[in-house]
Amino acid sequence: MQGSDGWHRVAALAELIADAPFPAKLGGTPIALYRVGDRVYALDDVCTHELALLSQGFVEGGAVECPLHGARFDIATGRCLAPPATENLRVYEVRVEGDEIFVRAS
Amino acid sequence: MFLRNYWYVAASESDIGRKPFARTILGEPIVLFRTEDGTPVAFEDRCAHRHLPLSMGKVVGDRLQCHYHGLQYDRAGQCVRIPGQELIPPSAKVKTYPVVERYRWLWIWMGDPALADPARITDFHWLDDPGWGAKSSYLYVKANWQLVVDNLLDLTHLAFVHETTIGNAALAEHAIVKVTRAPNNVVVTRWIIDQPAPPTFVKVGGFTGNVDRWQIVDFVPPAFLRLDVGATPTGTGAPEGKRVGGINMRNLNAITPETEKTSHYFWGQAHDFDVKNTALTQKIFEQIETAFHEDVAVFSAQQRNLDLIPNPPQVDINADTGVIQARRILDRLYDEEQAALHATAAE
Repeated sequence: MQGSDGWHRVAALAELIADAPFPAKLGGTPIALYRVGDRVYALDDVCTHELALLSQGFVEGGAVECPLHGARFDIATGRCLAPPATENLRVYEVRVEGDEIFVRAS
Repeated sequence: MFLRNYWYVAASESDIGRKPFARTILGEPIVLFRTEDGTPVAFEDRCAHRHLPLSMGKVVGDRLQCHYHGLQYDRAGQCVRIPGQELIPPSAKVKTYPVVERYRWLWIWMGDPALADPARITDFHWLDDPGWGAKSSYLYVKANWQLVVDNLLDLTHLAFVHETTIGNAALAEHAIVKVTRAPNNVVVTRWIIDQPAPPTFVKVGGFTGNVDRWQIVDFVPPAFLRLDVGATPTGTGAPEGKRVGGINMRNLNAITPETEKTSHYFWGQAHDFDVKNTALTQKIFEQIETAFHEDVAVFSAQQRNLDLIPNPPQVDINADTGVIQARRILDRLYDEEQAALHATAAE
């Protein structure tokens, strides 16, 4: 579902479990959704280091750790916190309406 | 890379009797035998005099006698007789290792004997629990022990290596995988929902339709992998914890490094249904044994390449999460053990 304003419905809020990333697609782009406290975040799912899916990684202390090589990213900002990655992750705008999660490229 | 302050499986209980039994573990030659009252003992397999393996000698009463010049060692490893010589040098002794019999295996402690607490032996009760039917065995592996650990932490290989027994395509393509980790533990949970049962499961469980299959791999360092595996007819509630009308098994693995390039692979298979049916236990065992011989061929072929091209670059794929987390734990434990050793040496 895509609105004229660029928002895509990507998941139901009920599908998200706290501290467990949820893989989704924005158009053709794999993204990962995170529920931290009462907020939802959407970031690129592919690690900026090598091809690994962060949605299969480990969420600890507001950061996600790559399952393969251990790079870490801040979930709220996408900022790279630990090598071997050096580039930040792209962050998407998130809007929650009722039980629906909408995301758009900012 | 070896981790020393751990209990390892040295042998099957029935391997050790009144004849000396030789086995190299973590690069150390070891001889095992039983004293007259049946107590197992383990020595360094090298006479303190001129290095002949004591396993070439014989057990005399509670003593082990060297085949070369007849020196005799008591159960504490102290030389107590030198033929033709009355006085015995105090340095005439061999290293001993703590050993414990448990789960039909003989466990050996390869590190500092002061730390050898039997409570630290990894639980494999399924192998001798009357609530389970079980059979265990041994395979000699011409490969580094970590290749075996890797294998059991990424079960997508079943679809390709074991397609005549425990594997099928569904297992690699349609699994829901979750990896959880703790400081000294990795658990890989795989669910394959509403898919055909693999050949072994059809033979053993009599499934006629699709199944919900689980594979829960529990890794404990250095090289213990306990797999909770099974299937039930699809939609009957196994993912919610209701395991009825199917088969529930444990595949149990304890790998003991022999050298950096060879390993002792102790394994067993247990089932909690029809537990007194030894023909069934044997049938299940033979299916898994077939699969494990296929794995052993993979390990030695990997090792041959690693011998030709040491430390080659490698690509990691999604399925490697469990493998990589386990290797990270092992690297950390090795660093910690080495740091403690060096700290002790510096004192």
